[in-house]
Amino acid sequence: MALRSGQRIDAAGAAGFVALMAALPLAFDSKYLIGILTVSVIYGIWAVTWDFMSGLTGRENFGHSLFIGVGAYTAGFLNTVYGANAWWSLPAAMVVAVLFALLMGFPTLRLKGPYFALAMLSGAVIMQRLMLIFWEHTGGEEGINGIAPLIRSQLGFYYFALGCLAAVTALLLALARSHWGLILRAIRGDEATCQAAGINVTFYKIASLAISAAFAGAGGALYAHYQLQVSPQLFAVVTSILIITMVYVGGMATIYGPVGGAILLVLLTELLRNFGEWRLMVYSCTLILILFFLPGGLVAPTWRRLRAAFGASS
Amino acid sequence: MLEILIVGAVSSAIYAMLAVGFTLIFGVARILNLAHGSFYALGAYGAYFLTSQLKLPLLPASLLAIAAVALFGVGVERVLIRPMRHSQLAVLMITLAAALVIEQALFLGFGSEYRNVPAFIEAKYHIGGVDVAGARLLALGVGTLVIAALWTFIQRTRLGSAILAISQDPQAAQYMGIPSDRIFSLVMAISAALAATAGILAGPFLSVQPTMWLLPIVKAFAIVVVGGLGSIPGSILAALMLGYAETLVGYLISTSWTEIVSVLATLLMLVVRPAGIFGRRAAF
Repeated sequence: MALRSGQRIDAAGAAGFVALMAALPLAFDSKYLIGILTVSVIYGIWAVTWDFMSGLTGRENFGHSLFIGVGAYTAGFLNTVYGANAWWSLPAAMVVAVLFALLMGFPTLRLKGPYFALAMLSGAVIMQRLMLIFWEHTGGEEGINGIAPLIRSQLGFYYFALGCLAAVTALLLALARSHWGLILRAIRGDEATCQAAGINVTFYKIASLAISAAFAGAGGALYAHYQLQVSPQLFAVVTSILIITMVYVGGMATIYGPVGGAILLVLLTELLRNFGEWRLMVYSCTLILILFFLPGGLVAPTWRRLRAAFGASS
Repeated sequence: MLEILIVGAVSSAIYAMLAVGFTLIFGVARILNLAHGSFYALGAYGAYFLTSQLKLPLLPASLLAIAAVALFGVGVERVLIRPMRHSQLAVLMITLAAALVIEQALFLGFGSEYRNVPAFIEAKYHIGGVDVAGARLLALGVGTLVIAALWTFIQRTRLGSAILAISQDPQAAQYMGIPSDRIFSLVMAISAALAATAGILAGPFLSVQPTMWLLPIVKAFAIVVVGGLGSIPGSILAALMLGYAETLVGYLISTSWTEIVSVLATLLMLVVRPAGIFGRRAAF
């Protein structure tokens, strides 16, 4: 019974959160706020996908921006060069991102140690350079402009993005709490023992990277159709670091925590707008402070305490 | 032909200086230091700041900058890395965060414009029908000398054997009374000083700006993967291979393709032989 009441509180919390996010633009009718909320929701998708792969298996991905950028550019190319309907962008971005996940994951995830982290970082850096090198096709520093919107109404697009975030989070949470998630956590704990127990560790690592990449790519496509423009800046290491900071603020390996972390940080960043140039400095210092003083993050532990206060025993 | 030979050697020397420091601190302390590229950037900016703002002559300015970066490296190791050493990933995270803080500090302090680091030798030399800038030849010469000196230091001195001992078996070395924490600091200082030297020597012919740490770290990682993590001869050999491969690709295809070489080499090597050319451990 105790577990049930815990689940009920979780469900109520999630529903309350989605309702709050949905109600905010209705309460304050401002295009500015809807814009910020849309960005925060898309960052939420990126953070939750990062956490699914890296948080659960402990293989930190320093180049998540690779999948985001690849997804966004796929959307941009399909839409502007080939004139495809905007709705094709999402599945296409997912497929291309998965291809990149296999390309990067196969050589690096078979191995132990930090090869994966650094190889992903290199991959993202090189993709950003490639976008500048092949400027005739990619538009160079300017990127691709004139991408068609997915949904004309700004509010409609926000609700679509929020729906995507809720669906992705629910799916990844379900996966993380299933047998699959248990194996990923076990890999984080002790890879050798998992292997000895007959688990195909490599398959699980690469498959979870592919899942993570697929939704990150879809998030990239959403972002492209929101900004109506893509630029090589999407591949920047900074993008990956922002996402990692969000996950750390949210609480690693909790899946729902990073969503809160992303939304919290994007909204806080808007408050820091006046600091302008200092924004990234604030982010990187936050990351260092969190690493030192709050290794469990901020959002997930707070939620755990809240639900304990509501009487959930687990 | 001669041009390829010389230009390739110069970039190899710069890469070797970067990669040897990167692999040294890994081999000894098992620290993968993502802030290594930042030491390179700090070296170049240090020389720029001391010569153009404080009007110091180049040689004392360079030595001062190298010493300051070495000291800074020790500080980073003491304050940020040491508490995180229980987990390799925590070290990666903290050094990446440190690299970003340094990038932002450079950006806030100096802006995003390109800065000019003065060259020791302004003259151009005419060798076998090829014009080569003196700064490049100096980078080649100093790089070779510094790495040779480091090699003799590690192979011939008592302190060097302590470094070797720790890299071979940290626990046994500690039982023999080698103060491993002090050795880590020393190696960090050497590694940071090497990166700063590379930054100062490459400064005159490379772009000096806040994000300059990123590509060097990508290349150092590629070299170290190809050469074998923790192996100094491996890094030197791989630095030569990457330096010449990039130069060749630059001449035969186009300079824009050079950046791809390092990542391609990394991925191929990880598929074919993850331990690298001289790596002892298979994927540790």
